[in-house]
Amino acid sequence: MTQFDLNDDTVVVIIGSGAGGGTLANELAQKGIKSVVLEAGKRFDFGDIENDEWAMFNKISWLDKRYSAGGWHGAVNHPNLPAWIVKGFGGSTVHWAGVSLRLKDYEFKTRTTYGEIAGANVEDWPVSLEEMVPWYEKAELKMGVTGKTTGMPHLPWNNGFRVLAEGCRRTGRTDYNSGPMAINSVERDDRPSCQQIGFCMQGCAIGAKWSTMYTELPRAEETGNCEIRTEAMALKIEHDESGKVTGVVYADADGNQHLQKARVVCVAGNTIESPRLLLNSASSMFPDGLANSSGQVGKNYMTHTTAGCYAVLPEKVHMFRGTSVAGIVGDEVKDVPSRGFNGGYYLEFLSLGLPFMAAFLEPGNTGWGRSVARALEQYDQMSGVWICGEDMAQEQNGVTLHESEVDQYGLPVPVVAKTPHNNDYEMTSHAYETTAQIYEAVGATDVYELPAYPASHNMGTNRMHADPSKGVVNAHGQSHDIANLFVSDGSQFTSSGACNPTLTIVALAIRQAEYLAQEMGAGNI
Amino acid sequence: MLQGRIVFHRLKKPEKDYAGVSRRMFLMTTAMAGVTVGTMTAGVRPGLAAALDDQQSAQLLRMVQDIYPHPDLLPLSAYEDVVATVLAGMDNDESAAKAVREGLTQLNAMAQEIYGSAYADIEDPDAREGLLRTVENEGFFQGIRWKAYFGIYDNKELWPLFGYEGSSVEHGGYIDRGFSDITFVPQGPTLEERLAEVQN
Repeated sequence: MTQFDLNDDTVVVIIGSGAGGGTLANELAQKGIKSVVLEAGKRFDFGDIENDEWAMFNKISWLDKRYSAGGWHGAVNHPNLPAWIVKGFGGSTVHWAGVSLRLKDYEFKTRTTYGEIAGANVEDWPVSLEEMVPWYEKAELKMGVTGKTTGMPHLPWNNGFRVLAEGCRRTGRTDYNSGPMAINSVERDDRPSCQQIGFCMQGCAIGAKWSTMYTELPRAEETGNCEIRTEAMALKIEHDESGKVTGVVYADADGNQHLQKARVVCVAGNTIESPRLLLNSASSMFPDGLANSSGQVGKNYMTHTTAGCYAVLPEKVHMFRGTSVAGIVGDEVKDVPSRGFNGGYYLEFLSLGLPFMAAFLEPGNTGWGRSVARALEQYDQMSGVWICGEDMAQEQNGVTLHESEVDQYGLPVPVVAKTPHNNDYEMTSHAYETTAQIYEAVGATDVYELPAYPASHNMGTNRMHADPSKGVVNAHGQSHDIANLFVSDGSQFTSSGACNPTLTIVALAIRQAEYLAQEMGAGNI
Repeated sequence: MLQGRIVFHRLKKPEKDYAGVSRRMFLMTTAMAGVTVGTMTAGVRPGLAAALDDQQSAQLLRMVQDIYPHPDLLPLSAYEDVVATVLAGMDNDESAAKAVREGLTQLNAMAQEIYGSAYADIEDPDAREGLLRTVENEGFFQGIRWKAYFGIYDNKELWPLFGYEGSSVEHGGYIDRGFSDITFVPQGPTLEERLAEVQN
């Protein structure tokens, strides 16, 4: 496999191999642009994937020391797990469920649509849906998203979603379906069709679900234009006297440090690690961290407004059989301020196995006893949803560096603060009520409301903004302060929208690759 | 709203006589408890007997049953296995062992003070759970609770009793094994219907 010299300063260094970094690496490689990907985790393959919730959690999760902070329940109940993301080859595309929704037009223009929201820091994206549509289409074709772009039918409906869908029908809803999902419903792109295995979020054992682990990354390597170094943890981005970035210092598996020189650096380490790296790269020239003249690096952390809601039905459901997120209800995704909140939410059918249901039904010290045990005896009669709604950017929510404690690499431990906005509480309450009504219509006897899980959707900490004083990067993810420093992951998001972020991350990465090729070709960077 | 509490559905049907069922099971399992734990710790695993005396072993078994009570669903041996795991952990960690012994003593003292009997002899399961609630934030309790959690809900031997079937990839997934077999709601769309909706 191709190896680039540490002193080769013609390469693009990409930090992270997930939806953003992995896609960018392959897009650049196909254009003949050379890159080195630094992936902090290990190289996984299909042999590592098991249908076992805790085994996979322990194998692939990012479990380096972190602190949860702020007013959300996780600061108490998940004190060291603010986010549920992956450390490994393929990043969180190993864990993601495959939901591939586009942001709505108004979600790119939240400031214009909502106006100023007290206590929030809501802004417009510097791109519109109209500009993004062709990139969304490219992303859908790349990933194999069921729906009109590919012509691939949505997946067959499993038991758990059929219950939800029937409740939707009986309550007069029209927008519910088993897609769009980046899961093959037919053989496509050298990957098999879904076998309704379940355990999508433990890594798809057969590769029916798109993941950079077995698509973008090996394809990038095959070109000879991309070297992926695993167990390579980025520690610091270096710059020269002119302020241009020049390379990345990283630690290898043995803890030895190396400097990989670079023409361009693209940060795609997910929404906690990306701002953390920029903050850890502070220098005398950039005392507040790289690309941080706006002061917005590490701020505006968004996770989506989320919760779980599970109903007990009169008969067996066996919701765990089949695709984990088997269907999506979309008709609450609209901005109707008379509901008492701005923005909207999806209800996404989500099966949990018995171990995770028992852990998350009532997380924390109180989650035991007769009420919990009684609920779990009805496990095989449950169907339920994950509520995924827009989360308002707030400056107080974000990633900061611990004052004294360092991790195994000697870097300050990240402290991840999240306090829900009142908008979140109002939306969650509405979504619980809506879900209960849907399931009541199919005869639910009990409905259990679960608080948010540690976030798998993490966004906003290096946000895009047309105004360099209000955001970190421009519409192409290029930092306002440093022309050859880019952000390529979900930390670019200006608003969270209601939808799962991966499709937008991939679309932005494809678009960014095009821009990089153009700017490098023109000698601008 | 976003607190970590179960919120019961507002239209919840009246409960069946759960407490009555529970109490019958309680009487039976308590009668067995002293014997089985004593046998297990003294006979099968003699090395563990030192961690707790018979009375405290029986109290621990009652406590583990009260943490995740499934009297009609799980065999007593499931809880005995959890107790064995706790005892094994105590053998390997003297400070944890001390915390468990002191916690059990504290719990019994509280039971004596309020109900005039040892914890394991209180017949009302609500009363026992109430006592446990007062110590639920203590390390010894959560240590036992999480061992019980993994021993019961992450235990492949017990999954079938909850109707959970677990790993499917080795069987070719659920595609031919009932992923869409329920009959109390309508079928989903056919392949032809699903194709028609995405093709222009």
